[in-house]
Amino acid sequence: MPRPQDSSQPRLAAGCRWAGEGEKRILLFPEGALKLEGTGHAILERCDGQRSFRQIVDELQVLYSASEPEKVRSDVGGFLERLQQKRVVDF
Amino acid sequence: MLPGPLALIAEITHRCPLHCVYCSNPLQMAAASSELTTEEWVGVFRQASKLGVLHLHLTGGEPLARTDLTQLVDAAHAAGLYTNLITSGIGLSESRLTPLVKAGLDHVQLSFQNSRESSADWIAGTRAHALKVELAPMICRSGVAFTINMVVHRQNLDHLEEMIALAESLHPDRLEIAHVQYYGWAFKNRDALLPTRKQVNDSLRIVSVAQERLAGRIHIEAVVPDYYARYPKACMGGWGRQQLIIDPAGKALPCHAAGVIPGLRFDTVREHSLEWIWQESNAFQKFRGERWMPEPCRSCDRRGMDFGGCRCQAFLVAGDAASTDPACSLAPKHPLIEEVVARVNASSDSADNAPHGGEKIDSLWSYRPQPGQ
Repeated sequence: MPRPQDSSQPRLAAGCRWAGEGEKRILLFPEGALKLEGTGHAILERCDGQRSFRQIVDELQVLYSASEPEKVRSDVGGFLERLQQKRVVDF
Repeated sequence: MLPGPLALIAEITHRCPLHCVYCSNPLQMAAASSELTTEEWVGVFRQASKLGVLHLHLTGGEPLARTDLTQLVDAAHAAGLYTNLITSGIGLSESRLTPLVKAGLDHVQLSFQNSRESSADWIAGTRAHALKVELAPMICRSGVAFTINMVVHRQNLDHLEEMIALAESLHPDRLEIAHVQYYGWAFKNRDALLPTRKQVNDSLRIVSVAQERLAGRIHIEAVVPDYYARYPKACMGGWGRQQLIIDPAGKALPCHAAGVIPGLRFDTVREHSLEWIWQESNAFQKFRGERWMPEPCRSCDRRGMDFGGCRCQAFLVAGDAASTDPACSLAPKHPLIEEVVARVNASSDSADNAPHGGEKIDSLWSYRPQPGQ
């Protein structure tokens, strides 16, 4: 499975969901839980099945405007690819 | 302060329509009449969530044997728990699954005994395989996370590629290649179940090829069986450290097989709160942390990784629950494991003794019976 395309619409995979609120928000999935902070949280909360990968990258590039835009794009793609292989994200 | 548990394994009944020869239930099972009531389980789930538990694993026996399963899932979900159903599939139907999913079930883990029906049914001691295959599409459609659990051992490892192909055709999100662990009925049947070194090595290669091929489609989890590993498994993520088990009658255990260890006092959720049990119960205190550790664990760099291995295995194999898990190559009692491994590898007994054409081979192993009433 390659990295997401511009038009891919990343979403949480079946049986993966958020729990808790605010600071304590965690992502639950079959064999574990992720307490996400910073970038990871910013990416995953945008994986709503509506936004395209392109849109998510655009938003993250604005959010992290001090970073090289290409690096942000590559980091977001790599992060989603890893979670896709764990079957936590689908796109 | 002592961190709370992260996972609760609720053995809600020991009743099961299957008789798997590797079952991890104790040889002395809890009778149906001793089972906790719906209200008692609901109370346990609420307490668990308050203690910090995130995942609830509903297992058995066969959890579907409880007619109140939907109520239990509903209460667990309302308490904020991520709810996993570990099932043989027997008793599952569209009319049973739909309300479970509606009640908030997050994950279904369906076990398989083999890729070939006759052999799978022989291992399970009953006809179950065909139904499991039929159930898979329904579970896929339901929207829960779907894991297939292939339980492997000497009698089916030669079909591992076929087993993976079967799993692939059923489209789960995850596939667990679970080597039998030698407790309960599996320990009793160990000589028939323990794989050969060649089977283990072949299986590692087959799994790694499949992991690469199926990456992004099916996430494959596989662990080297501890009898062939260099170091022991981090049993339960450490004794009384992350998980607790409640048996059908409410007895709280730090490990599935802990009941075999003599001298431990187990407390029940009928008499104590879950919080008290976690913090104070004798059974949980006994091997928590590092104070109990003998050498070579005490000074070992890996003690924070594997916690000295499994206490139940130390008792079952070496006769002393407070000794280093004999599966560890550094354990003084490791020769006891080597002896079993050598015996199995020297045996001319071929893998896959599944009967063909109606003959019965009962002498190979003992089937797990039903618990008493």
